[in-house]
Amino acid sequence: MTVLKTSMRNFFAHKGRMALSAVAVLLSVAFVCGTLVFTDTMNTTFDKLFAVTSSDVTVMPKDAESEETAQNGVPESLPASVLERIRSADGVRAAEGAVAVMNVTVVDGDDDNVGATSGAPTLAGNWTENDLRSMEITSGHAPRGPTEVMVDADTADKHGLNLGDELRTIAQTGDFTARIVGIAGWKVTNPGAAVVYFDTATAQRQLLGATGRFTQFNVTAEDGVSDARLKRNVSAALGGGSFKIQTEKENADENRAGIDEFMGVIKYAMLGFAGIAFLVGIFLIINTFSMLVAQRTREIGLLRAIGSSRRQVNRSVLIEALFLGVVGSVLGVAAGVGIAVGLMKLMSAAGMSLSTEDLTVKAATPVVGLVLGVVVTVLAAYLPARRAGKVSPMAALRDAGTPADGRAGRVRGVIGLVLTGAGAFALFTAAAADKASEGSLFLGAGVVLSLIGFVVIGPLLAGGVVRVISAVLLRVFGPVGRMAERNALRNPRRTGATGAALMIGLALVACLSVVGSSMVASATGELDKSVGADFIVQGNQRIVPQAQKAMEQTPGLAHVTHYKVLDATLTSPDGRTDDDGVTAADPTYAEDLRRPTTEGTLADAYGTDAMSVGSDYAEKHGVRVGDILTVAFKGGETAKLKVAAITDDDTAIDQGARYLSIDTMRKYLPAGQIPPDMIMFAKAEDGREKQAYAALKKALHPYPQYQVRDQTDYKQELKDQVGQLLNMVYGLLALAIVVAVLGVVNTLALSVVERTREIGLLRAIGLSRRQLRRMIRLESVVIALFGALLGLGLGMGWGATAQKLLALEGLNVLDIPWPTIIGVFIGSAFVGLFAALIPAFRAGRMNVLNAIATE
Amino acid sequence: MTSAVTIPRHGGTGGRTAVAARARQVVKAYGSGETRVVALDHVDVDIERGRFTAIMGPSGSGKSTLMHCLAGLDTVTSGQIFLDETEITGLKDKKLTQLRRDRIGFIFQAFNLLPTLNAIENITLPMDIAGRKPDRDWLGRVVDTVGLAGRLRHRPTQLSGGQQQRVAVARALAARPEIIFGDEPTGNLDSRAGAEVLGFLRRSVDELGQTIVMVTHDPVAASYADRVLYLADGRIVDEMHQPTADQVLDRMKDFDARGRTS
Repeated sequence: MTVLKTSMRNFFAHKGRMALSAVAVLLSVAFVCGTLVFTDTMNTTFDKLFAVTSSDVTVMPKDAESEETAQNGVPESLPASVLERIRSADGVRAAEGAVAVMNVTVVDGDDDNVGATSGAPTLAGNWTENDLRSMEITSGHAPRGPTEVMVDADTADKHGLNLGDELRTIAQTGDFTARIVGIAGWKVTNPGAAVVYFDTATAQRQLLGATGRFTQFNVTAEDGVSDARLKRNVSAALGGGSFKIQTEKENADENRAGIDEFMGVIKYAMLGFAGIAFLVGIFLIINTFSMLVAQRTREIGLLRAIGSSRRQVNRSVLIEALFLGVVGSVLGVAAGVGIAVGLMKLMSAAGMSLSTEDLTVKAATPVVGLVLGVVVTVLAAYLPARRAGKVSPMAALRDAGTPADGRAGRVRGVIGLVLTGAGAFALFTAAAADKASEGSLFLGAGVVLSLIGFVVIGPLLAGGVVRVISAVLLRVFGPVGRMAERNALRNPRRTGATGAALMIGLALVACLSVVGSSMVASATGELDKSVGADFIVQGNQRIVPQAQKAMEQTPGLAHVTHYKVLDATLTSPDGRTDDDGVTAADPTYAEDLRRPTTEGTLADAYGTDAMSVGSDYAEKHGVRVGDILTVAFKGGETAKLKVAAITDDDTAIDQGARYLSIDTMRKYLPAGQIPPDMIMFAKAEDGREKQAYAALKKALHPYPQYQVRDQTDYKQELKDQVGQLLNMVYGLLALAIVVAVLGVVNTLALSVVERTREIGLLRAIGLSRRQLRRMIRLESVVIALFGALLGLGLGMGWGATAQKLLALEGLNVLDIPWPTIIGVFIGSAFVGLFAALIPAFRAGRMNVLNAIATE
Repeated sequence: MTSAVTIPRHGGTGGRTAVAARARQVVKAYGSGETRVVALDHVDVDIERGRFTAIMGPSGSGKSTLMHCLAGLDTVTSGQIFLDETEITGLKDKKLTQLRRDRIGFIFQAFNLLPTLNAIENITLPMDIAGRKPDRDWLGRVVDTVGLAGRLRHRPTQLSGGQQQRVAVARALAARPEIIFGDEPTGNLDSRAGAEVLGFLRRSVDELGQTIVMVTHDPVAASYADRVLYLADGRIVDEMHQPTADQVLDRMKDFDARGRTS
């Protein structure tokens, strides 16, 4: 009981010193809980959505896939006659045919895409009874003729659409324009899909290119008939055949599956970053408790002298940690909900609407947050607690000023060196690996080992590195600089741990910036080397025939290349098969993408009944030019094609692609099965590049879902995309860096308290406030730069290794983004200045007399 | 009550007055109303230049407060304090800091040295802070006087308590301040080490012409001074010139007895 009381009193006596540690715990826990609440809320939103969009039983064509359409770009469908057979089944109260497709783009009168920018799909279909479960018409009426369309209210709001406006729908089967006659509002939260409705005949004709066909049938059960029973009945009535029949739950689950995968990636990525923040927080907590224990050495010695056992002392520190963990975690859980709401707002800004009504805090979330926060805090405090237990009763009698903890052990040095050495070895092995899978294992091991090694060895490196930094930077500050240097050096373990916390975040920043920049440099290099096409056209919808035509008719183009990806099963002469498909393109593609060959000439691969394979495939299956491969086209015939070229797979673009000409494809694939183009390329007539680019842009303006880019824009786009991705990751890493900065603040603040008398002495003998503040700021800068130097060095090492490894995947160029690296280094100095603001201010305010008064 | 004020007279050294520091009607009070505690009660005192003054008194007599006020470490409630001809009461922190740095030396009871700096760095610290170059000859003389020549590169932790205090004395002397204030400079030392340090202080007065003010409760320490001021309840109650340890002790006993009977 006394132990508990002492711990509590200590905790509250030092609540100021505990505050920053509590904030670190709070931030990490909040991030974890925020992630959980956010993903749970998204799940709830989708659950609610799918619950109302799925009917009791849904009947679809057997091959219907939830996301992609059939190979030829037109969705699979069933004849209306099926409806009669479904209606004849027992227990069916109602059944209706529905048309619902996702492979369309809808544009307004200005040719602007009204679809979501968040990646959510545009859905087009007929207005059915089932839709009434999720939506209600808020103005106008349901579409009734070939020129009428209804749009969902969210989309109408976002794009300022009103009744009477015209919408053009771009489908695989052609464009058509309709006037908005109705707007339907959602009864549940719609995360972002844009939805347009037509009457049934229009939907069938325009979206499926056929009359009397449906993509699915929605079946409603009579009262008392379960979904499973209805499914059996419907299945019996249809007499087997090629149908996919799902209950409401099965359908919702299938819809969920795709989203779950995406959500899983988000969730675990964010939890990963939360984990990094936790890791950094551990350093902060260790430092706090180490310093508190050191400052309390005499007090602890007294406790020991009057009879406290080691365990009691040890436990009293751990109980303090427990309080810290509980306080930080409880606040963290609350803050987590706030973060989740913030993320939802952020998503809204990005075009994805989520409602706080759906905010889901599962019971597990606070439990996970609390357990994680408390366990991590107590574990982190364990080492300092043990050290507290080791304080001898004699410490109470000694007149210990500042306990000197200067000697970093030799054991530490050896362990650190061994770990760092092992890490370096693993990294070298990874860099030299032949196989990516093997290498990535070594890369992972190398990263972890070298990180731990650096953390362990940090206090030893602190001596040398701080001296070097000081020699360069602090000399100009004279005696104040010298004192700052000595202060940073006086407790290498503390400086090491504080710097290491910053090191972790910055190492990841450096590593990712190196990889990202190498990615851009490699891709740019590859583009320069191998891409001969002037213009590249692609988008998130396969290129519809009308857009292809618009492109073909553009003046000033020397040629236009179609590029299609086909499903096919390949059988090599050694009898082995794979389903990796083939690429069909015009022969001009050989000019558009210059691929070196290891055997044969690429142009020959575009001859009749010829093809090419990649060098990896050729090697694996012993295929040579002249060999015959069996290609079974999906939805077409099986062909025997002669290998005319083997392309070198040492490339980043189209690695492993197997080319054949579109003419060859046409021989074996019926017209109705030919897929739309995935990408198109074009080359301008000599000297007319500029005009051709403008003309092409103009020609494709009515099709905003496709981006037209010349090589310069393409490279810029690539750079922007990588840049965006990096910024997002940096944003997430910022949390870890914030925690590390808190660590620097914490170390300085506690140091200032610890050095009260020293500061008093300095002030007494004439150090001005300004000099004092500068001294503390410089110490902070040195610690921050120490962390930055280690982190950036380590990170660049990791990045370079990753690049060497990814060279196997075509990441050939190592590009170190010096501006970023130097920027981060200089930024760290400012971070140091910033971290010292409050500690320096407080030191300056310290009363000289109190500081020097003898106890 | 004996007044400790002497008639200001001009001494022979460089046209300066013979009084290094003066306090006039200095009051220092803490708190207000019923909890008001008066630490210094209208104190008048002159510190003579080139002399060694000891301030004595029982605990709570205000002797440390007087020294802190004279040294510009603490502010006064009312009254004036002059260092030479400069009035330091009312100076802003910046000026006070400069004044302490350039014109005053300190020796505290404990924690006189920065643990991160070695002996010579500690000695030259006030000048370093001020950005002044130490006078090499003078520094050598000071170092010789305190007998630290062989230990200048040692860190404080590598020095004994007596050696540490000698470094502190050297630091106080090195910048040639107008006054050195000592707050129980030998309080933490055994008698031998204490005698050593006091010997240096005495010699620095005799040989280097230094002015020293020292707070102490040790009659032996006080016997090294030229003049002893006695404080009780915030007032100067007596003074003694050229004291011996026994005389000081007797006087103390006398005060104690009076304190008990009053």
